[in-house]
Amino acid sequence: MDNMLYRLVYMSRNNITDDDKLQEEISDILDASQRNNRQAEVTGALMFNTGCFAQVLEGPHDKIQDTFERIQCDPRHSHVSVLAFDRIDARLFSDWDMAFVGQNAQRIEQFARFNEKSGFDAAVFDGDTVYQLLRMHLEEAERV
Amino acid sequence: MLAESVDAASAGIAILDEQNSVVYANAAFATQLRLADSASLIGTLPLSTWTHSASEQERHSLEDQMHDPGASVLSLKVGENITTTLYLDDRREGRRIVMVINDWTMSGAPRNVIAQLDALTGLANRTMYDKHIQDLCDIGEDNAASAVILLDMDRFKQVNDTLGHATGDSLLILAAKRMRSAIRSNDILIRLGGDEFVILQTQSKQPDGAQTVAERLVELLQRSFLINGHQINSGVSIGVAVLGQGTSNPEELLKHAELALYEAKRLGRSRYCFFESNLESNALERCNLELDLRRALCLRQFSLLYQPQKSLSDDSISGFEALIRWDHPVRGRVSPVDFIPLAEELGEIHAIGEWVIRTACQQATTWEGKQIVAVNVSPLQFNDDHIVTVVREALQASGLAPERLEVEITESTLMHNTEEVMQRLWAIKNMGVAIAMDDFGTGYASLSHLSSFPFSKLKIDKSFIQANQTPRAKALMEAILAMGTSLGMMTIAEGVETLDQYEDLARGGCTTAQGYYIAKPMAPENIEHFMRSTQTASPMSVS
Repeated sequence: MDNMLYRLVYMSRNNITDDDKLQEEISDILDASQRNNRQAEVTGALMFNTGCFAQVLEGPHDKIQDTFERIQCDPRHSHVSVLAFDRIDARLFSDWDMAFVGQNAQRIEQFARFNEKSGFDAAVFDGDTVYQLLRMHLEEAERV
Repeated sequence: MLAESVDAASAGIAILDEQNSVVYANAAFATQLRLADSASLIGTLPLSTWTHSASEQERHSLEDQMHDPGASVLSLKVGENITTTLYLDDRREGRRIVMVINDWTMSGAPRNVIAQLDALTGLANRTMYDKHIQDLCDIGEDNAASAVILLDMDRFKQVNDTLGHATGDSLLILAAKRMRSAIRSNDILIRLGGDEFVILQTQSKQPDGAQTVAERLVELLQRSFLINGHQINSGVSIGVAVLGQGTSNPEELLKHAELALYEAKRLGRSRYCFFESNLESNALERCNLELDLRRALCLRQFSLLYQPQKSLSDDSISGFEALIRWDHPVRGRVSPVDFIPLAEELGEIHAIGEWVIRTACQQATTWEGKQIVAVNVSPLQFNDDHIVTVVREALQASGLAPERLEVEITESTLMHNTEEVMQRLWAIKNMGVAIAMDDFGTGYASLSHLSSFPFSKLKIDKSFIQANQTPRAKALMEAILAMGTSLGMMTIAEGVETLDQYEDLARGGCTTAQGYYIAKPMAPENIEHFMRSTQTASPMSVS
């Protein structure tokens, strides 16, 4: 509708139950997101663990709508709940960031390369209550 | 193969092969899509050549529709401020015709195609559905692979009313895309109209094929939509009918799917139901009951019975509750539990309720004593001022003293339009009529409801009296009685069946009792005899 920037924050349940499969899929998601979303002027961050995805998308209204519709129809997750959908003045994320958030040490190591590869910087979130909430949910949802 | 007239036609025409590659395009097609010439189009893919100026959304639509064998329509930007409309015909034997028509050439457009498409979503419409059903009928017997999946968006009207029609339209477009993403390429997706869609499956193993799609769509459509800066939660209710299960006539599928859809909504929406034969018989039965109920008043099939209410302080009969009965020549006696909700739904409750008040007032004037007559009034009757007039006129016509009339309402009366309802209650109370709170304890049992109006009487539901054997129920009962006393309200216990219950209530401070222990509801002509017999019997019960 307009060219104003919007930020969408949502969480969903991770339907990928296998750790190796998760590695592979996350890799795919990262590649696809970076490719598609650059084209679509959408930036953002994906936090994930073995139980749950949490995603922030930023961009023009209609691009967010398009991307979200694609995400909604993706069978790799379910129970999508939107936490925030608001107009914003500036982006928090200039690119496409991803991070594994969890407490399982082995998995932290296993998924660390995504944090590096995407340059995820949790500092941009500092003081953001939604982010704190996301982390809390993520930690609760992790399958140990 | 193609006539020269097609080459020279003013409408743009192209033909695609199985791989969606262009095998033919006439000159007008190239012109209208703002492409150099038609010859260089041959062998190209529409997505690479036609979309030079298209928006991303249009690209997606075109991509979707290339995969869909059904007919569709979409608009495509072909230059600055120039949009053209593409009509994709059904894929037939692998090939499909695409037409481009500008408004000014519309007169030469393939009317049969346009007439079968929905302008908003680009999906096929009702006409197309009828055509497919006709095809199924023509094929005859062996089509057990067919099912009709009928979808109705939940809360669509609310979206339209609160966020506007443009948002509502966007919701339908996005919902249609989600539906398309969940169905198989040989399923046919149709917009029937409004927020109703139908998916026609003709090549799936049934009922599994329909069930898979229905399950997926319920899940998919209850996920949020983002439209015009709003987060919208809608959802879908689905009814499914499978050919060969309940009917072998394709023309009946939609009717069956509608019955199943009705059931899905009745069970709370955002779910799917399959057609079952009892749905049809239930609907038919309901329909007949509806007809009979609409006629019952005119045919004088209603009557009132009166159940005595006994004062616990002096064992006298202080009043009667008027209870409606419906005696139908074929059905026999129909319980109010079965017909009152239907009467409320049909709006018949207003006429029936008015009859009850008038009749009760009239009959009460014939009683020798000054007993009150208690009348139940539906919450719906309090939705307009007419109830005040009805009570006033019933009192005037019968000459009954207002103090002898008691209007019983339930807590749900106070749930909506509270201020207006209060005004009506006060208007009736100011005539001198008592207002009692019925069924207290089964609903919200809200103290604020009790304090919001000076009710004359608190009527305690029979479930409390009949469960009075347990210490908990007894404690609860005592608390309600104490509350009535301290708020200055009389208390009446319903469903008193034994002497023990009666004596417990008397000890607890309850003022009045009603139930089989005292007397069953009786016809008006038996009241006189009943009163005479209690007067002679009462000295014995005192002793």
